[in-house]
Amino acid sequence: MVTDSDHLRNQRIVFYSEDIERIDAILCEFLKLSGSKCNLLIDKEGHMVTSCGDTDSIDEQSVAALVAGSYAATREMAKLLGEDEFSVLFHQGKRDSIQLSMVGDRTILATVFDDQTTVGMVRLYARNACEKMEEIFEEIARKPKRSGALDAEFGSSAKGALDFFFTE
Amino acid sequence: MVQINFSLKEVNCKIVYYGPGLSGKTTNLEVVHQKAPGPSVGDLTSIATEGDRTLFFDFLPLNLGQVAGMKTKFQIYTVPGQVYYNSTRKLVLQGADGVVFVADSKRGKMDENIESLKNLGENLKEHGLDLSNTPIVLQYNKRDLPDVYSIEEMEQALNSWNAPYFEAVARDGHGVFPTLKRLAGLVLETLNENHAPRRSPSVVAPKGSVTTGEGSTAATAVATQPTRALNATATSSTGKSTTRVRTTVSAVRTSTHAPKVRTQTSGTRPTLITSPRRRKRQTGMWMGFIVASTAAATVLLHLAGIIKIWS
Ligand SMILES: Nc1nc2c(ncn2[C@@H]2O[C@H](COP(=O)(O)OP(=O)(O)O)[C@@H](O)[C@H]2O)c(=O)[nH]1
Ligand SMILES: [Mg+2]
Repeated sequence: MVTDSDHLRNQRIVFYSEDIERIDAILCEFLKLSGSKCNLLIDKEGHMVTSCGDTDSIDEQSVAALVAGSYAATREMAKLLGEDEFSVLFHQGKRDSIQLSMVGDRTILATVFDDQTTVGMVRLYARNACEKMEEIFEEIARKPKRSGALDAEFGSSAKGALDFFFTE
Repeated sequence: MVQINFSLKEVNCKIVYYGPGLSGKTTNLEVVHQKAPGPSVGDLTSIATEGDRTLFFDFLPLNLGQVAGMKTKFQIYTVPGQVYYNSTRKLVLQGADGVVFVADSKRGKMDENIESLKNLGENLKEHGLDLSNTPIVLQYNKRDLPDVYSIEEMEQALNSWNAPYFEAVARDGHGVFPTLKRLAGLVLETLNENHAPRRSPSVVAPKGSVTTGEGSTAATAVATQPTRALNATATSSTGKSTTRVRTTVSAVRTSTHAPKVRTQTSGTRPTLITSPRRRKRQTGMWMGFIVASTAAATVLLHLAGIIKIWS
């Protein structure tokens, strides 16, 4: 039987530096090949995983939340239309466009690009990059789970941070 | 679902404000946005109808600072309260690590409160959770109104599992921080229990201790570590969320009765209060089309729902 605490245990998602380094390498290669401006990897909950390229002009957290929301809404729409899901989404602007592609079932790749490249180029290389990243995620999933991910002082440190932050 | 990212040295948690329409969820976020130290909160983004009713969600990123070497962040959402927006509520609730349930204390609103809480229970169930095993804090809001239920009545009707609760007048900023502080504490506590190598000191007061009103903050205010926390603020002040923007997107207007949808062309119109920068405008622009398409998707969802009901 799955206990409550097991359930919560399974509810986490942990990204380790060595895995992210491999993801970053793929993202940056994709950035160069596709001529896009930046790439954001976002998890389904709307948290940033990693990014590559010129993200200075972007409020990453808000974009991540909106991308995840947009994706979730579209997935529901696909269901209502009897589709499994739309695996690629594309929003076209006057200057910048954004393409969203699902990577595995937990993460979304958001690619921002302008007229320096074309949708075709982005789509072509994105498919390849997504496949490579999916392989890495599958590998990660097969690895035995590590425990003790956080520092032992996390509890007391959190308490201090909360008290400091929420002073009226 | 908490994301622990050792590459970014970040812990990311998702918090959702739930409750019936007009109970004060958006107001809570506005207060947090105003009151939190400048660099620690980002822009407040609202996907709202023209009448300022939440259509999809409000979103506020909040950076608590360094906790044991990890930048600890909360992504805070509100859901639309209106009954017929359940599909979007489910989407927003997905993957939440903690919930603040904002109840309306105004006499006559109890049925709506109960209905919304029941709906929360059902939606949690779809994700294999329930009210008692999810970090939840109740907020009894609008205590300033002349005709309100007593706290006993609120407790009796809503709090069957003895969750922490707070009284609030969100419009005046009262009770907003204590509520969020407690929930954030519960979320980090759950994380600490599941992830720290050995049992490290707990984040909040032991479960079962009944909290009433704002006095409860004193109960949890032990062993502060101002030095560490100060460092944290210093670090995060280099972050980029210094401009406070209230981005209201009045992209779509919907109505309960007539399934008439009017899409308006206005995109994001950030009102910059301090140091407007070019990058903000760019962000606004292409965030505009994400938002607009999201809103359109939402409306289609509702329409699809309506059509299904009718056919
Ligand atoms: N009297 C009173 N009004 C409040 C309080 N908090 C919020 N309101 C008002 O209730 C209305 C709905 O608030 P809003 O935050 O938009 O509700 P939401 O639908 O839950 O997001 C607004 O007019 C607020 O000003 C409160 O504590 N007291
Ligand atoms: Mg609202």
